[in-house]
Amino acid sequence: MRTSIHEEVRREINVKKYIYILKTQLIKSMTYEFSVYGNIFMQTIIMITSAYFWKALYKDRGSVGGVDAESMLTYIIVSSMLSVLLITNVEKRIEMSVKKGTVATDMIRPVNIFGMYFAEDLGGVFALVFQNMLPILIIGTLLIKVPVMVDVSALPLFVIAVLESFMINWLIAALFGMIAFKTGSIDALIQVKKHLIRLLSGSIIPIWFFPAGVSKVLSSLPFVYIYQLPLSIYIGKGERAEYIAGMQIQFWWLVVLTAFFFFVQKKVTRKVMVQGG
Amino acid sequence: MIKVENLSKDYLLKKKEPGLSGALKGLIKTEYKTIHAVDNLFFELGEGEIVGFIGPNGAGKSTTIKMMSGILTPTSGSVYIGGEDITKHRKEVVKNIGVVFGQRSQLNWDLRLGESFELLKHIYRIDRADYDNTLDVMDSILGIKELVDKPVRQMSLGQRVKGDLVAAMLHSPKVLFLDEPTIGLDVSSKFALRTFIKEINKIKKTTIILTTHDLGDIQELCERLIIINHGVMMEDGNLSQIIDRIAPYKTLVVEYYDEEAPEHERCELVEHTDNIAKYKFMKKETTAAEIIADLSKQKNIKDVSIEEAGIDDIIKIAYGS
Repeated sequence: MRTSIHEEVRREINVKKYIYILKTQLIKSMTYEFSVYGNIFMQTIIMITSAYFWKALYKDRGSVGGVDAESMLTYIIVSSMLSVLLITNVEKRIEMSVKKGTVATDMIRPVNIFGMYFAEDLGGVFALVFQNMLPILIIGTLLIKVPVMVDVSALPLFVIAVLESFMINWLIAALFGMIAFKTGSIDALIQVKKHLIRLLSGSIIPIWFFPAGVSKVLSSLPFVYIYQLPLSIYIGKGERAEYIAGMQIQFWWLVVLTAFFFFVQKKVTRKVMVQGG
Repeated sequence: MIKVENLSKDYLLKKKEPGLSGALKGLIKTEYKTIHAVDNLFFELGEGEIVGFIGPNGAGKSTTIKMMSGILTPTSGSVYIGGEDITKHRKEVVKNIGVVFGQRSQLNWDLRLGESFELLKHIYRIDRADYDNTLDVMDSILGIKELVDKPVRQMSLGQRVKGDLVAAMLHSPKVLFLDEPTIGLDVSSKFALRTFIKEINKIKKTTIILTTHDLGDIQELCERLIIINHGVMMEDGNLSQIIDRIAPYKTLVVEYYDEEAPEHERCELVEHTDNIAKYKFMKKETTAAEIIADLSKQKNIKDVSIEEAGIDDIIKIAYGS
């Protein structure tokens, strides 16, 4: 009994250092990284062009796939906001560490390096909520519409779905980043990954607009559970039961990716320890 | 404090054959060549020792240091720090280790130095009191407090290395690895750094392992020297003893009034140009005074000087073999 309390205290203090890493990253992002403001501009362009696109498409129709034009406009604004939460730096961070050879120095410290990368990304995202997400919300509201949630009772589901999509997205990024341990440079791969996720996740065009076959294939990949699932919940597409079913699959993807992540992480760490950083 | 036993590290290197056919062959079947980066090292370091760990580029110094600090797994052999096997208790042992790589900073480029320190304070879970105390000590030696508000990206190399040293010492490690800490520094920064190393060694009884190519560092700091080359231990011992063993001679330079130089039975005339003659003699057999006395009986001497084998000669000889 005594040892378990001891363990608990230990773990709590352990979490503290990652929280401090997060806090430091937050300070750092708030103070130094002005480049992030460029993203507001980019997201504004994406929002506006998609708004015109959907308005043109919906001209003579009331609804497509059970979704009307108004919901679609909400969808794109929230999608742009969500994309801010899903900005990851872990792949670049790993690539830089491998290039500069600082993996070794990171590993000398009594922290798990991936725990550290995660805390850093989380800190960065917290900063971006103020630096990017709020401005995008304001711009979207002023130029397109107020993106209200249709059925507010689904809010808890939406929040959980977003948290899970954040995790899935981060794990995919971290797994991509780990390729850098093998190949060194992954610049091009990062770009490929970024656009793959944007296209295949329904972030710009929901996959229910795709041909049935393609849509089916995409549903079996983890990407739609990053954007489309939480966004569908937000605009109230479909029934509550559909959300729950989707979130179950989302949860299984999370489990699978987590397991795969720990498996690869162990291998990668061992490889670095054997071959040198 | 540190015990290194049978420590070896082999790397597998892909064998590449030249030309297009070689490249094609490599796609189908790769052959590997084993490189012995570190070969069967044995040594023990006591508490509070400062050891110069030297060798030419590619001798296996960094590999050894990486293995000793637990970030590289040895092919065979083991490293004990404070009695604990580093490969088995890595997470515990790293708390007793501080590392400074002169060419790679561990500080966060985008943070102020003080913020980097605070971060380390949390990562190593250092008590506020201990932390303040350590920082005071560091400040009295290096004057680090005037730098804490400066972003690391704006620092000069000298300031950055100072910051790195303090960062490595914040958690009061028992062992400090310094990998070429003075590389690229100016004279006054080097001086400050050496003073710092001496002081923390005295105050905190830190065991220090120093790799360097700077002979001044070795002369100033190290009593003991470990020389490795091609991964093999060449020398391990007291600095002056190593000098005595590798270079047991001195050279006497005599300037005469004319070009004629007499021989002497107990030394060797190694060089003779114009009025200057150089005599090499064994320290055990005779003394410079004796030779000068004998020579001055035969000819008038204008001036004398004695050249001693220095650390650079030792290194040259040790590396050459």
